[in-house]
Amino acid sequence: MNLFVSTRTELLKTRRSSAFWLSVLGAAFLPTVFILMYLLRSAAFVPLLAQQPWENHFLRGWQSLAPFLLPMFVILSCSLVTQIEYKNLGWKQLFTTPQPMARIFLAKLLAIQGMILFCFLLFNMGMILSGLFVNLVNPHYTFFRHAIAWKELLRWDLKTYISVLGIAGFQYWLSLRFRNFIVPIAIGLALLILSLALLQWEHIYKMPYAAPVLTFLSIRNKVPGLIQHHEWNTIGYFLTFTLLAYLDLLFRREKG
Amino acid sequence: MESYLIQTSGLDYAFSRQSQILHQVDLQVPAGSIYGFLGPNGAGKTTTLRLLLGLLSCRQGTIQLFGMDLGRHRLAILARLGSLIEQPSLYQHLTAKENLEIYRLLYGCGTSRIAQVLDLVGLSATGSKRVRQFSLGMKQRLSIAIALLHKPELLILDEPTNGLDPNGMVETRELIRRLNREEGTTILVSSHLLGEVEKMATHVGIIHRGRLLFQGSLQALHDLKAKEGSLEMDTSDNLKALEILKNRFPVRLLQDRLVISLEDGHQAARANRLLVESGLDVFLLHPRQSNLEQLFIDMTSEPS
Repeated sequence: MNLFVSTRTELLKTRRSSAFWLSVLGAAFLPTVFILMYLLRSAAFVPLLAQQPWENHFLRGWQSLAPFLLPMFVILSCSLVTQIEYKNLGWKQLFTTPQPMARIFLAKLLAIQGMILFCFLLFNMGMILSGLFVNLVNPHYTFFRHAIAWKELLRWDLKTYISVLGIAGFQYWLSLRFRNFIVPIAIGLALLILSLALLQWEHIYKMPYAAPVLTFLSIRNKVPGLIQHHEWNTIGYFLTFTLLAYLDLLFRREKG
Repeated sequence: MESYLIQTSGLDYAFSRQSQILHQVDLQVPAGSIYGFLGPNGAGKTTTLRLLLGLLSCRQGTIQLFGMDLGRHRLAILARLGSLIEQPSLYQHLTAKENLEIYRLLYGCGTSRIAQVLDLVGLSATGSKRVRQFSLGMKQRLSIAIALLHKPELLILDEPTNGLDPNGMVETRELIRRLNREEGTTILVSSHLLGEVEKMATHVGIIHRGRLLFQGSLQALHDLKAKEGSLEMDTSDNLKALEILKNRFPVRLLQDRLVISLEDGHQAARANRLLVESGLDVFLLHPRQSNLEQLFIDMTSEPS
């Protein structure tokens, strides 16, 4: 048995689960809103999207997603994936399977990362399909006439994914620690709101919950370099919190 | 010499300094047996079983399964046993087959095992029905199917008939006996119902307040019962009666009744005469129920 098999079982558990539907609906929400906006207010949006329609369209998407919806999605995903075990009294059975604790821990962590990447993929697909659909219905839009800058799109995705790692690491720890579903969500939401309120603070780049919005700003302002200072921080937070979460689980007296 | 699949020595466990749950438990489960682990609720059964599975740590004493130390060979041990602890651990949003598929992958069994274990527990026809729509009996059976998936040599079942209707209890009992008989699986099954254990166990361990009060074969328990001839009495003043009798007979007050251990019927007449001559009215005088149920109650009741 290896980590691949363990991760596969974790992904099987998410089938038809709330975590799965959150990814699908979360990713589909904004593209649907954009379709409605572009079609219902075409007079305003056709000129706005005339030049570089894809870049404009995606920037609008990330602008709506990055500050609040994306961190909230990560907070909820971490809780929902771990709640599959708590809700179904699954921990005790899982811990009596012949696999090392590290593998159980990593498989679940990878499943959460898989859900986040799945949501990213669906969001990108949704944004592209929404642009194409709008252009199909209203030929005044110019999506058909412009190519998608795939390389740039991937860079944005990579940067945005890195920006949520710190949140994911901390929330995973909280979600493993607290049986009650509400506690990690409440803590995450409070830290997110605090971070947004402190956006002008000179040390805001140290707050993991502010990282997605800072990444969006760096993309919009075309800041050079692949990884910004706050993104290195979030990678550090991810590694630190993940290690702490593992040690916390490993040395817990009562498992399951 | 009998070989033990499970052997604990001086097993202690405390959730805190104030609450010692287990005291020096020396469990010995013979290979090939159905070991009924009996005790009232809160006696320490589940704590013992969780310790055997490594779900609880910080223990004192030693635990050996298959002759290996649990602390050092936990994964090798877990690969050879199946378990069901307390309520079923099932993913309610998935079907029976999907639940089994998860554990099939983890144990590395062939795909055909899923149909086999579903058939074994009578759940082959559940199809696309989600586990949340199952009755408690079906959930218990599916949990047992998961425990059986990798053909374990040892099954640890914590109150598997809890919450089942009489029919479900009979079916589960039959399944346990069949597994033991046909597959040679050693089964450690906990219960608070002696009648239940009596019908399937070959060996019995009785635990109360964290202490193992009896351990041995079912026959040894029957032999113990045979020696426990006793008389139950109720008088107009049981405390005074206790004072009168205690220097002449082994007597104790149990659940507001006097219980006297007797060697023969003459002693019953002598005890009665003593009480009447002391001015007490004797309302009731009869041999105590001579069954295991009574023995179990006696063992697990505190003399007042």
